[in-house]
Amino acid sequence: MHSKTWMKYFMLTIALMVGIITTGTDIAHASKEPHYVITTDTTYPPFELQDKNGKYVGIDIDILKEIAKREHFTYKLVPISFNSGAQAVLSGQFDAIMAGMAITPARKEVYDFGTPYYKTGVIAAISKNSNIKSLDDLRGKTVALKTGTGAAAYALSIQKQYGFKVTYFNDSNTMYNDVALGNTVATFEDEPVMKYAIQNGVKLKILTKPANSGYYGFGVKKGHNQALIKKFNAGFASIKEDGTYDKIVAKYIGAKESNFAGSAKVNNSIWGLLKQNKSQFLAGIGQTLMLTILGIILATIFGVAIGILAIIPNKFSHGFASTIIYIFRGLPLLVLAFFIYIGIPSLTGHKLSALFSGLITLMLNEGAYIAAFVAGGLKAVDNGQMEAARSLGLSYGKAMLKVVMPQGIKLMVPSFVNQFIITLKDTSILSAIGIIELTQTGTVIISRNSQGFRVWFLVALMYLIMITLLTFLAKWADKKFGGN
Amino acid sequence: MVAKVSVTDLHKSYGDNEVLKGINLAVEANEVVVMIGPSGSGKSTFLRTLNKLEEPTTGSIAIDGIDLTAKDTNLNKVRENIGMVFQHFNLFPHLTVLENITLAPIELGKLSKAEAQELGLKLLDRVGLADKATAKPTQLSGGQKQRVAIARALAMQPSIMLFDEPTSALDPEMVGEVLKVMRDLAEDGMTMIVVTHEMGFAKQVADRVVFFADGYIREEGTPEQVFNNPQDPRAQDFLNKVLNV
Repeated sequence: MHSKTWMKYFMLTIALMVGIITTGTDIAHASKEPHYVITTDTTYPPFELQDKNGKYVGIDIDILKEIAKREHFTYKLVPISFNSGAQAVLSGQFDAIMAGMAITPARKEVYDFGTPYYKTGVIAAISKNSNIKSLDDLRGKTVALKTGTGAAAYALSIQKQYGFKVTYFNDSNTMYNDVALGNTVATFEDEPVMKYAIQNGVKLKILTKPANSGYYGFGVKKGHNQALIKKFNAGFASIKEDGTYDKIVAKYIGAKESNFAGSAKVNNSIWGLLKQNKSQFLAGIGQTLMLTILGIILATIFGVAIGILAIIPNKFSHGFASTIIYIFRGLPLLVLAFFIYIGIPSLTGHKLSALFSGLITLMLNEGAYIAAFVAGGLKAVDNGQMEAARSLGLSYGKAMLKVVMPQGIKLMVPSFVNQFIITLKDTSILSAIGIIELTQTGTVIISRNSQGFRVWFLVALMYLIMITLLTFLAKWADKKFGGN
Repeated sequence: MVAKVSVTDLHKSYGDNEVLKGINLAVEANEVVVMIGPSGSGKSTFLRTLNKLEEPTTGSIAIDGIDLTAKDTNLNKVRENIGMVFQHFNLFPHLTVLENITLAPIELGKLSKAEAQELGLKLLDRVGLADKATAKPTQLSGGQKQRVAIARALAMQPSIMLFDEPTSALDPEMVGEVLKVMRDLAEDGMTMIVVTHEMGFAKQVADRVVFFADGYIREEGTPEQVFNNPQDPRAQDFLNKVLNV
């Protein structure tokens, strides 16, 4: 009776998931023009930033767009934290990176770069009211670095000489705020980016002259995508020659960020922020809810299966289930996400979409927790129930399904509600692999308007509202279907 | 004629602890066998090997000529024919009384839902609980629970019934109602193997009384033989204690 409706929902979910995964992955393009997947940083103004409509603009983005047009190729732009993007190019997830990436000898070992397109150097910056006078004053203090950047590499190369400690951040804006607030005393950053940030109100000042001068380059994995590099170089020569390049640079350098990102006035009120970023917040909430709901469904299917395997009186299945629970409960969610998204494709050469990787991560990690309490709940059902059912001639499976599980599930309902909330919160970790869910939406908006307090306050509020609503929903469902 | 139940040289060990040390027993159709003996003598374990809730270590068990210890025996099929009643009832708390009874016949395709419900109500009437069909087990007294458990076992229309201390968990005033149902069942000709401490029931209803001690059958015979003239010293000692309180 109920099993048929169940089956329908199950099939619907599967269909929905397949739909999402396939649209998330790149479908072959109809046009004959070659198609590439190119990553960029989420926030690196003036090279990449989101405009007030949430669209990516910036020197890198505009150059890329112009070159693609002239050289007849299409591409999908994937904004993701610089470090993850850089690794994902090497693992084959992305074809190229255009993210203000400085050409360094170390990077040349693993990447091929196109024509250097922008001159840069590393400078140190400190809080506006800091009394640090030179790098020598950094001794014993902590400086903030952005993971995987050339500036960070430079800072590490002089760390011994100046005797400072380091801490790492994944996006520029959080890092600047950390220095401005005095948690760390200085940061090392690429000169054009730092200048632009200061000009737009970041409360830092530049301490040193540019060091380690070099150029930004458009990178591909060494020995791969050589046709793309050729196209980039040809296109770059063309925009340089006719002045388009200079126009693009002029458009951003020296211009106020508010030209692109909207006026600062709205930033002073929570309502203004909410109104201006409504569509982005909604998209972020949508993505978070979608990940949570699909994640918990997948995790429940996986967890119940493993939980049952854990209690079947069979050494092999028990060992298998225990190992699965041990591994996936033991791994931090972030490590698992990186392993699936970046690790596995570098081994197999097959790309996985961030969404697909994220859902699999949730399924395995949350599923392991679910498996543990499913096994616990089923074990908590008195053994006499199984014996009575078996003595009537019911098979183990039927006895489990009709007698033990209905009783065990009632015991598990509170744990399920709990896991649901945890899953919702855990989706925020998936921002690290470039899924623009609610947390990442917050990071991106702040990178544009520097309103750390107000935006994080709003984001926190949104999580609480979602959790409250989902908890109500879960309780209602429990009352209606669980009979508790 | 082949015996209904035939057990040969049955041993059962838990690790180094041997609790059944070579049991031989044959039970004829329509016979009521009552097993008595001190706690830990192995009688309950023995009963539970008869439908393989306990796996015997060595030896053989045949029910209606079917060897339970053979690898290719369909245990579920054999169990359909052997009803079992437990000390702690083990009713399914998430189902109503009637659903407890109809679950197995419906799930195993023996009866349609309507047929099963009809049979279930008939059985409830037989154990005096016709008015409790829609109650949940938690709403019943111990004696009522055990009577439902008997009805549940009977719903599979078994030809053998095993009772594992069916009245031990009951308040004294409820023992009688359960024993009455069992007595009726015996009068209807059901083959029954009963582990119990109710000596009165053993005397009145049993065709044969079997005395267990230390994993052996020490004494076996009609109630008169065993109760009035036991030969084994352990049996004499045990009966002396339980009959002269």
